[in-house]
Amino acid sequence: MLETLPEKFRSYNLKADVRTILLLQKAMEKGLVKTLGDIYNVLKGIVVKDPEMMGPYTRAYYDYFLNIDIQNGERLNDAILRSETFKNWKEDLFKREKLDKEYDLDDLVNRFLDDVHLTSYDIKEIISGKDLFDNDNPHLTDEDNPADENEMSERHLDKMADYSDLSLEELMQRLEEIRKQQKTKHSGGSHWIGTGGISPYGHGGAAKDGIRVGGTGGGKMARRVLNDRKYFPVDIDSIINDNNVDAALAALKGITEESAQEKLDVNHTIKEGLKRGGLFIPEIKNISNEKLQVILLIDNGGYSMDPYVHTIRELFKKMKTRFAHDLETYYFHNTIYDRVFSDAKRHKPVFIDRFLNKDPNYRIFIIGDAAMAPYELNKMSLRTYKKICKKYKKTVWLNPEPKRYWHHTFSINLIKQMVDMYPLTPRGIEDAVREMNRKK
Amino acid sequence: MADKTFWTGSDKYLCDKELAQAFHMSRVLGMPLLIEGEPGTGKTELPLQYAQDLNLDLFVYPVGSKSNIDQFVARFDHVKYLRDSQIEILNAQRQQKGLETKLSTGGRNSEVLNDYVLKGPAAQSFLSPNSVLLIDEIDKAPREFPNDLLYALSHRKFVMPESGDIIEVSEENMPAIVITSNREQELPTAFKGRCIYHYIHFPDSDVMRDIIAKHYPTVSNKIVNVALDVFYHLRNIGLERAPTTREILNWLKYVKQYTEKEAIEKIENLEGIGALVKTQTDLEKIQQVLLRNPDDFKRRSTPN
Repeated sequence: MLETLPEKFRSYNLKADVRTILLLQKAMEKGLVKTLGDIYNVLKGIVVKDPEMMGPYTRAYYDYFLNIDIQNGERLNDAILRSETFKNWKEDLFKREKLDKEYDLDDLVNRFLDDVHLTSYDIKEIISGKDLFDNDNPHLTDEDNPADENEMSERHLDKMADYSDLSLEELMQRLEEIRKQQKTKHSGGSHWIGTGGISPYGHGGAAKDGIRVGGTGGGKMARRVLNDRKYFPVDIDSIINDNNVDAALAALKGITEESAQEKLDVNHTIKEGLKRGGLFIPEIKNISNEKLQVILLIDNGGYSMDPYVHTIRELFKKMKTRFAHDLETYYFHNTIYDRVFSDAKRHKPVFIDRFLNKDPNYRIFIIGDAAMAPYELNKMSLRTYKKICKKYKKTVWLNPEPKRYWHHTFSINLIKQMVDMYPLTPRGIEDAVREMNRKK
Repeated sequence: MADKTFWTGSDKYLCDKELAQAFHMSRVLGMPLLIEGEPGTGKTELPLQYAQDLNLDLFVYPVGSKSNIDQFVARFDHVKYLRDSQIEILNAQRQQKGLETKLSTGGRNSEVLNDYVLKGPAAQSFLSPNSVLLIDEIDKAPREFPNDLLYALSHRKFVMPESGDIIEVSEENMPAIVITSNREQELPTAFKGRCIYHYIHFPDSDVMRDIIAKHYPTVSNKIVNVALDVFYHLRNIGLERAPTTREILNWLKYVKQYTEKEAIEKIENLEGIGALVKTQTDLEKIQQVLLRNPDDFKRRSTPN
């Protein structure tokens, strides 16, 4: 049951597999799931592992459990209003409460969200259906205005499902049926997001009344999440910009091979042992490796590179303050001949022969579009690239030009054969860094 | 049996409802709770306050760049072990020479390997049922640390070094494990998969008001209103390091010693701004805003 869940969630780029279902089942077994709102909460804790997954998760949930398909950039309200699920729910509500036709749509949507996201934490006590029946008042209406966002107000739930007597098997079955029901045309009678999460009607589960405290929290959060780009993944395949620069930085972080381990300090042990007159006690020292030397070679000539230079510098500046302490930047125009420049205006030359005298452990990032007239890329330039790659094993080229255009440009094709080239995107940087780490 | 009831915070600590639910869920399922969020949103406070409120044993492991799994679980003290065994030889030699006095091994017996196992916070908390274990700022750890934790977390079991003893805890008695992270580095996916995840959203002004009331119930509403205005305005102008809950609490601590009128004046003139803004570039940015509009931080709302 619910075996289609992982597939659906994966189509939203979420991580879900059979373990997700098993965990959800376990949560049900432990009594964490009594309403549909509970499922939203529990699955969130299991599936969402990053605030950026909140958006896709919320959309996947609405799609899978409510058959409400929220389009990119669409407001939650609009998606709800055009859904079959909402229509059915509304029809049913009118039948039960005999509301007149004068209603505020926004209020209704709020009320709908309220029902969807009702969690068992919102319910203070559950009154058994029988008690109510005995009191001859089985259909108390909900007098409070659900749109009222005054959170701690207590409201009466005229009906809610109590599944505590159901076995796990039955609960899962019920859930599955409920889910499928959304896809079929409403046939009247058996709705399921009644006032109280999962429908009290139908198979199994006694209808009971409850007192609810608060609420609206879940619906409010869902709305907030869908309206905020922060809760959607940044595009790690787009050329770095201010939005995904942090993702790029995270990718760069992979180049520190930090590790902490303890190692026997032989020299110290001998020294101390001799002082003790031959009693050798092993002396341990902490080793941590964080040596990181980086050289940037940035093409800042030509207007084709202009849009990127700023972001690139920002990125590596952040990198420097965060984890690389030895970072040098040089500039060139279009391609490198016999010199690079230590200043952005390219007045202070550094000759390649001197440049090649540095520690071979330096990691070199060459950043440029590598697009130039064929005559510009002469023998001298090609030789320079060869020398750099020979001396510095960890050299990569990051190219802001979209990868699909690379093969159209002669100079890119040529340079690519000598220097490993990656697109200047967070993913490209990640790949470049991985490749760098592989080469020792 | 470990406490599995729903905990919503104490008089001192306002626990966000969603966080409380995630925490409850993690305890019921016997999984660690991984909390991420901006610094200063009370991630570390949760387990501390929970342990204090319910009077539970608390074990804290502050993670650093040199953290390794041995410190966290248990390590074998080879130095002491070697020293003690050498002392035994020495003692035997002394006895041969007829010396009465013996060198002490401090009650340890070099034949009992367990005497040399130094238990870290993880082993200790697994040994005391219904305790709370906080792993603070796991993002500071070297990359392999979270991966090393995986085994223990999914099997609820630690193997003691050298002695080979196994410390095991049942799902029922599993300590409430809370792990915090400032997201300075991405944690391995497999690790996150073993945790219940919760991201703390930055509290809005209503929640912040409640938080302030819990800490400084005596500060007047007027002061809090003005301070919150300035605070959220500062957060909105795009500083490099936006001020957080911790900072506004510190600031209020500073101004609350003055009379209401003085305090409001001080807030509006951004006195003691050093409590809120921590970098030079941010200070310069604020100065620029003030240059353009000197009254930018004054009376944005009508005082009530």
